[in-house]
Amino acid sequence: MTIALFSGSVDKLTAAGVILGGAAAEDMEVEIFVLLQAAFAFKKENAMVNDRVAEITDKKDDFLASLQRLNTPHWTQAFKNAKEMTNVKIHICGFAGKVWHGEKLDDFIDLADNICGIGEYIASAEEANINLFI
Amino acid sequence: MSVTEELKNIKADKVVDARGTACPGPLLAVKQAIADVPPGGIMEILSSDEGTKRDVPRWANKKGYDYLGDYEESGYFVMYLKK
Repeated sequence: MTIALFSGSVDKLTAAGVILGGAAAEDMEVEIFVLLQAAFAFKKENAMVNDRVAEITDKKDDFLASLQRLNTPHWTQAFKNAKEMTNVKIHICGFAGKVWHGEKLDDFIDLADNICGIGEYIASAEEANINLFI
Repeated sequence: MSVTEELKNIKADKVVDARGTACPGPLLAVKQAIADVPPGGIMEILSSDEGTKRDVPRWANKKGYDYLGDYEESGYFVMYLKK
């Protein structure tokens, strides 16, 4: 499975984490390509403090409270769990990184495996049975 | 003896208590714990997540394990699978 992860909002990142959990249960190999706004969320200084939501924004407080009530792991933890259980590779788009002033891998949280170009995404998507855009 | 009574009489080799965690938490807990179950052994799973009651049988079938059944307790489900 490949995921073109564009969103930097916690609602969509949490959904991506749930999907990753399902993929981990099935021992699927997953390649995640972190594009534009998602690269903001993957920056070290943003990952744990960014609480933006993309949709139903007027209910953000309810949404975030429900995640806590349901013991939902933070999206970074969900991604980490999946990486520990199956082969998940996370690639930061080089262009996206630069947009958010991230020039090197160390500017991003430890979940990221490398910085790549779009050609790597296209090559992986061509081979994948499932390709998601989030 | 009813199916539920038969299930309640099963002595599990491994119990996974995933109550209080939401999807996909229980399924991941099952996947992690299956390594602790000997071949032919039985896992008992407790989950308060409704979706898990559908996910675990489907996952077990795909992995080649036998799903033995489930019953409902107050506020959670009890499921059994045989490795």
